[in-house]
Amino acid sequence: MQAVTLMRAEERLPDGAAAPGRISDLSALLGTWFNTDKQTGGIARMVLAGTPEDFTVHAFGAASPELLDWGTAPAVAYAASVASPAGMAFSGVYDFGFLETSLAAYTKSGILVLDTFNVFKDGSGRSNYFSREFFHR
Amino acid sequence: MEPLRASRARDLAGAGPEPANRIIDPSPLLGSWVNFDAASRGLSRVVVTSPGAGGGMTVRTFGACSPAPVDWGEVAGSPFADGVTLSAAVGFTAFYDLGGMTVMLASYLNKRLLVVDAYTRFHDGSGRAAYFARDHFHLP
Repeated sequence: MQAVTLMRAEERLPDGAAAPGRISDLSALLGTWFNTDKQTGGIARMVLAGTPEDFTVHAFGAASPELLDWGTAPAVAYAASVASPAGMAFSGVYDFGFLETSLAAYTKSGILVLDTFNVFKDGSGRSNYFSREFFHR
Repeated sequence: MEPLRASRARDLAGAGPEPANRIIDPSPLLGSWVNFDAASRGLSRVVVTSPGAGGGMTVRTFGACSPAPVDWGEVAGSPFADGVTLSAAVGFTAFYDLGGMTVMLASYLNKRLLVVDAYTRFHDGSGRAAYFARDHFHLP
Protein backbone atom coordinates (compact mmCIF):
# COMPACT_ATOMS: atom_id res chain seq x y z
CA MET A 1 0.00 0.00 0.00
CA GLN A 2 1.19 3.48 -0.82
CA ALA A 3 2.34 5.50 2.17
CA VAL A 4 -0.20 8.09 3.24
CA THR A 5 1.03 11.61 2.72
CA LEU A 6 0.19 14.13 5.43
CA MET A 7 0.32 17.83 4.70
CA ARG A 8 -1.55 18.81 7.87
CA ALA A 9 -2.69 17.00 11.02
CA GLU A 10 -6.40 16.90 10.18
CA GLU A 11 -5.74 14.59 7.21
CA ARG A 12 -4.94 11.72 9.58
CA LEU A 13 -7.75 9.22 10.20
CA PRO A 14 -8.72 9.03 13.89
CA ASP A 15 -7.38 5.97 15.71
CA GLY A 16 -9.51 2.95 14.85
CA ALA A 17 -11.51 4.77 12.18
CA ALA A 18 -11.87 3.14 8.79
CA ALA A 19 -11.47 5.17 5.65
CA PRO A 20 -14.95 5.72 4.22
CA GLY A 21 -13.69 5.16 0.67
CA ARG A 22 -15.99 7.78 -0.77
CA ILE A 23 -18.80 10.10 0.17
CA SER A 24 -21.99 8.01 0.08
CA ASP A 25 -24.52 10.29 1.80
CA LEU A 26 -25.54 13.47 -0.03
CA SER A 27 -28.73 14.10 1.94
CA ALA A 28 -27.45 17.35 3.47
CA LEU A 29 -26.86 18.74 -0.03
CA LEU A 30 -29.54 17.40 -2.37
CA GLY A 31 -32.55 19.52 -3.19
CA THR A 32 -33.57 22.91 -4.48
CA TRP A 33 -31.85 25.79 -2.73
CA PHE A 34 -33.29 29.32 -2.87
CA ASN A 35 -31.33 32.49 -2.26
CA THR A 36 -32.33 34.04 1.07
CA ASP A 37 -32.13 37.44 -0.65
CA LYS A 38 -35.01 37.66 -3.11
CA GLN A 39 -33.45 40.82 -4.63
CA THR A 40 -30.11 39.18 -5.35
CA GLY A 41 -28.22 40.03 -8.51
CA GLY A 42 -26.30 36.79 -8.20
CA ILE A 43 -27.58 33.23 -8.20
CA ALA A 44 -31.29 32.96 -7.49
CA ARG A 45 -31.65 29.21 -7.20
CA MET A 46 -29.63 26.01 -7.36
CA VAL A 47 -30.67 22.41 -7.71
CA LEU A 48 -28.26 19.81 -6.35
CA ALA A 49 -29.11 16.35 -7.63
CA GLY A 50 -27.80 12.93 -8.48
CA THR A 51 -25.81 10.23 -6.75
CA PRO A 52 -22.33 10.04 -5.24
CA GLU A 53 -21.13 8.80 -8.64
CA ASP A 54 -23.00 11.43 -10.65
CA PHE A 55 -23.51 14.54 -8.54
CA THR A 56 -24.57 17.73 -10.32
CA VAL A 57 -25.42 21.37 -9.74
CA HIS A 58 -27.98 23.28 -11.79
CA ALA A 59 -27.84 27.02 -11.17
CA PHE A 60 -30.09 29.89 -12.22
CA GLY A 61 -28.68 33.41 -12.46
CA ALA A 62 -30.78 36.36 -11.30
CA ALA A 63 -31.90 38.46 -14.28
CA SER A 64 -34.93 40.30 -15.56
CA PRO A 65 -37.47 39.46 -16.86
CA GLU A 66 -36.51 35.81 -16.35
CA LEU A 67 -33.83 33.86 -14.54
CA LEU A 68 -30.89 32.69 -16.65
CA ASP A 69 -30.66 28.93 -16.76
CA TRP A 70 -27.00 27.98 -16.46
CA GLY A 71 -27.63 24.32 -17.19
CA THR A 72 -26.15 21.43 -15.29
CA ALA A 73 -22.50 21.07 -14.31
CA PRO A 74 -20.63 18.26 -12.53
CA ALA A 75 -20.10 18.83 -8.82
CA VAL A 76 -17.72 17.36 -6.27
CA ALA A 77 -18.96 16.63 -2.74
CA TYR A 78 -16.86 17.10 0.40
CA ALA A 79 -17.35 15.78 3.92
CA ALA A 80 -16.52 17.53 7.18
CA SER A 81 -13.55 15.24 7.77
CA VAL A 82 -11.52 12.52 6.09
CA ALA A 83 -13.41 9.86 8.08
CA SER A 84 -16.95 10.97 7.23
CA PRO A 85 -19.08 9.55 4.39
CA ALA A 86 -21.54 12.47 4.63
CA GLY A 87 -21.26 15.31 2.14
CA MET A 88 -21.65 18.83 3.54
CA ALA A 89 -19.91 20.96 0.91
CA PHE A 90 -19.41 20.99 -2.83
CA SER A 91 -17.48 22.62 -5.62
CA GLY A 92 -18.20 23.01 -9.32
CA VAL A 93 -17.21 25.10 -12.33
CA TYR A 94 -19.28 26.77 -15.06
CA ASP A 95 -17.47 27.84 -18.21
CA PHE A 96 -19.68 30.24 -20.15
CA GLY A 97 -16.99 31.07 -22.68
CA PHE A 98 -16.89 34.77 -21.81
CA LEU A 99 -16.80 33.99 -18.09
CA GLU A 100 -15.67 31.14 -15.85
CA THR A 101 -17.44 30.83 -12.51
CA SER A 102 -16.11 28.56 -9.77
CA LEU A 103 -18.61 27.59 -7.10
CA ALA A 104 -17.38 26.75 -3.60
CA ALA A 105 -20.11 26.06 -1.05
CA TYR A 106 -20.72 24.49 2.33
CA THR A 107 -23.69 23.86 4.59
CA LYS A 108 -24.02 25.14 8.11
CA SER A 109 -27.10 24.79 10.34
CA GLY A 110 -29.32 24.07 7.35
CA ILE A 111 -28.07 27.04 5.33
CA LEU A 112 -25.96 26.65 2.21
CA VAL A 113 -23.23 29.29 1.95
CA LEU A 114 -22.03 29.80 -1.61
CA ASP A 115 -18.88 31.61 -2.67
CA THR A 116 -18.35 32.31 -6.35
CA PHE A 117 -15.06 33.29 -7.97
CA ASN A 118 -15.67 34.82 -11.39
CA VAL A 119 -13.05 35.26 -14.12
CA PHE A 120 -13.93 37.24 -17.26
CA LYS A 121 -12.36 36.01 -20.50
CA ASP A 122 -14.03 38.39 -22.94
CA GLY A 123 -11.68 41.36 -22.79
CA SER A 124 -14.53 43.53 -21.54
CA GLY A 125 -12.34 45.03 -18.82
CA ARG A 126 -14.66 43.92 -16.07
CA SER A 127 -12.90 42.96 -12.86
CA ASN A 128 -12.80 39.36 -11.81
CA TYR A 129 -15.02 39.27 -8.76
CA PHE A 130 -15.99 37.35 -5.66
CA SER A 131 -19.48 36.92 -4.27
CA ARG A 132 -20.96 35.27 -1.20
CA GLU A 133 -24.60 34.28 -0.93
CA PHE A 134 -26.86 32.28 1.37
CA PHE A 135 -29.48 29.70 0.42
CA HIS A 136 -32.23 27.71 2.11
CA ARG A 137 -34.15 24.65 0.95
CA MET B 1 -19.47 47.51 -29.84
CA GLU B 2 -20.94 44.21 -28.72
CA PRO B 3 -23.12 44.39 -25.62
CA LEU B 4 -21.60 42.90 -22.51
CA ARG B 5 -22.63 39.33 -21.91
CA ALA B 6 -23.89 38.27 -18.51
CA SER B 7 -24.71 35.14 -16.54
CA ARG B 8 -26.60 37.16 -13.89
CA ALA B 9 -27.41 40.78 -13.11
CA ARG B 10 -24.30 41.21 -10.96
CA ASP B 11 -22.05 40.70 -14.00
CA LEU B 12 -23.30 44.05 -15.29
CA ALA B 13 -23.81 45.98 -12.05
CA GLY B 14 -22.37 49.43 -12.64
CA ALA B 15 -20.29 48.32 -15.63
CA GLY B 16 -20.20 51.13 -18.15
CA PRO B 17 -20.08 50.78 -21.92
CA GLU B 18 -16.33 51.45 -22.03
CA PRO B 19 -13.99 48.72 -20.84
CA ALA B 20 -11.66 49.98 -18.16
CA ASN B 21 -9.11 47.13 -18.27
CA ARG B 22 -8.89 47.08 -14.52
CA ILE B 23 -6.06 45.31 -12.79
CA ILE B 24 -6.99 43.91 -9.42
CA ASP B 25 -4.82 45.28 -6.65
CA PRO B 26 -3.84 42.40 -4.34
CA SER B 27 -2.44 44.64 -1.60
CA PRO B 28 -5.35 44.14 0.87
CA LEU B 29 -4.45 40.43 0.85
CA LEU B 30 -0.70 40.72 1.26
CA GLY B 31 1.09 39.58 4.37
CA SER B 32 1.95 36.62 6.53
CA TRP B 33 -1.41 35.47 7.85
CA VAL B 34 -1.37 33.40 11.03
CA ASN B 35 -4.18 31.08 12.07
CA PHE B 36 -6.30 32.66 14.78
CA ASP B 37 -6.58 29.20 16.38
CA ALA B 38 -3.07 28.25 17.51
CA ALA B 39 -4.28 24.66 17.99
CA SER B 40 -5.65 24.32 14.45
CA ARG B 41 -4.95 20.98 12.78
CA GLY B 42 -5.50 22.53 9.36
CA LEU B 43 -3.44 25.40 8.00
CA SER B 44 -1.12 27.22 10.33
CA ARG B 45 0.04 30.08 8.13
CA VAL B 46 -0.62 31.56 4.69
CA VAL B 47 1.83 33.99 3.16
CA VAL B 48 0.50 36.15 0.33
CA THR B 49 2.98 38.16 -1.70
CA SER B 50 2.97 40.16 -4.90
CA PRO B 51 5.85 40.34 -7.35
CA GLY B 52 4.96 43.96 -8.08
CA ALA B 53 2.98 45.86 -10.68
CA GLY B 54 0.60 43.89 -12.86
CA GLY B 55 -1.69 42.53 -10.21
CA GLY B 56 -0.13 39.10 -9.80
CA MET B 57 0.12 37.36 -6.47
CA THR B 58 1.60 34.24 -4.95
CA VAL B 59 0.46 32.10 -2.05
CA ARG B 60 2.64 30.03 0.25
CA THR B 61 0.82 27.73 2.65
CA PHE B 62 1.95 25.89 5.76
CA GLY B 63 0.03 22.88 7.07
CA ALA B 64 -0.32 22.43 10.83
CA CYS B 65 1.69 19.40 11.83
CA SER B 66 3.90 18.19 14.64
CA PRO B 67 6.77 18.73 15.31
CA ALA B 68 6.87 21.44 12.62
CA PRO B 69 4.47 22.93 10.06
CA VAL B 70 4.62 21.42 6.56
CA ASP B 71 5.64 23.87 3.86
CA TRP B 72 3.38 23.34 0.87
CA GLY B 73 5.47 25.65 -1.28
CA GLU B 74 4.46 28.64 -3.32
CA VAL B 75 1.81 28.74 -6.03
CA ALA B 76 0.22 31.47 -8.11
CA GLY B 77 -2.97 32.90 -6.68
CA SER B 78 -5.84 34.66 -8.43
CA PRO B 79 -7.19 37.82 -6.78
CA PHE B 80 -10.85 38.85 -6.96
CA ALA B 81 -12.55 42.18 -6.37
CA ASP B 82 -15.91 42.82 -4.73
CA GLY B 83 -17.59 43.72 -8.02
CA VAL B 84 -17.00 44.14 -11.74
CA THR B 85 -16.10 47.84 -11.43
CA LEU B 86 -13.82 47.56 -8.41
CA SER B 87 -10.11 46.94 -8.25
CA ALA B 88 -9.22 46.22 -4.61
CA ALA B 89 -8.89 42.50 -3.95
CA VAL B 90 -11.22 40.99 -1.36
CA GLY B 91 -10.53 37.32 -2.03
CA PHE B 92 -8.37 34.84 -3.86
CA THR B 93 -8.19 31.28 -5.08
CA ALA B 94 -5.13 29.05 -5.29
CA PHE B 95 -4.67 25.43 -6.30
CA TYR B 96 -2.21 22.92 -4.90
CA ASP B 97 -1.37 19.59 -6.48
CA LEU B 98 0.43 17.83 -3.66
CA GLY B 99 0.84 14.48 -5.36
CA GLY B 100 -1.55 12.32 -3.40
CA MET B 101 -4.06 15.11 -3.04
CA THR B 102 -5.29 18.31 -4.62
CA VAL B 103 -6.44 21.30 -2.61
CA MET B 104 -8.42 24.30 -3.76
CA LEU B 105 -8.07 27.27 -1.44
CA ALA B 106 -11.04 29.64 -1.64
CA SER B 107 -10.41 32.68 0.48
CA TYR B 108 -11.90 36.07 1.29
CA LEU B 109 -11.44 38.96 3.66
CA ASN B 110 -13.98 39.46 6.43
CA LYS B 111 -13.20 42.70 8.21
CA ARG B 112 -9.60 42.18 9.33
CA LEU B 113 -9.68 38.39 9.13
CA LEU B 114 -8.72 36.26 6.17
CA VAL B 115 -11.06 33.28 5.86
CA VAL B 116 -9.54 30.33 4.00
CA ASP B 117 -11.72 27.42 2.93
CA ALA B 118 -9.80 24.34 1.79
CA TYR B 119 -11.49 21.82 -0.52
CA THR B 120 -9.31 18.69 -0.46
CA ARG B 121 -9.50 15.61 -2.67
CA PHE B 122 -7.32 12.53 -2.26
CA HIS B 123 -5.89 10.59 -5.18
CA ASP B 124 -3.63 8.23 -3.25
CA GLY B 125 -5.94 5.24 -2.81
CA SER B 126 -6.07 5.81 0.95
CA GLY B 127 -9.87 5.85 0.95
CA ARG B 128 -10.01 9.10 2.86
CA ALA B 129 -13.04 11.21 2.06
CA ALA B 130 -12.72 14.45 0.17
CA TYR B 131 -13.23 17.08 2.83
CA PHE B 132 -13.92 20.72 3.51
CA ALA B 133 -12.15 22.72 6.21
CA ARG B 134 -12.20 26.38 7.18
CA ASP B 135 -9.59 28.41 9.02
CA HIS B 136 -9.45 32.07 10.07
CA PHE B 137 -6.24 34.09 9.91
CA HIS B 138 -5.01 37.42 11.18
CA LEU B 139 -1.99 39.59 10.59
CA PRO B 140 -0.03 39.64 13.87
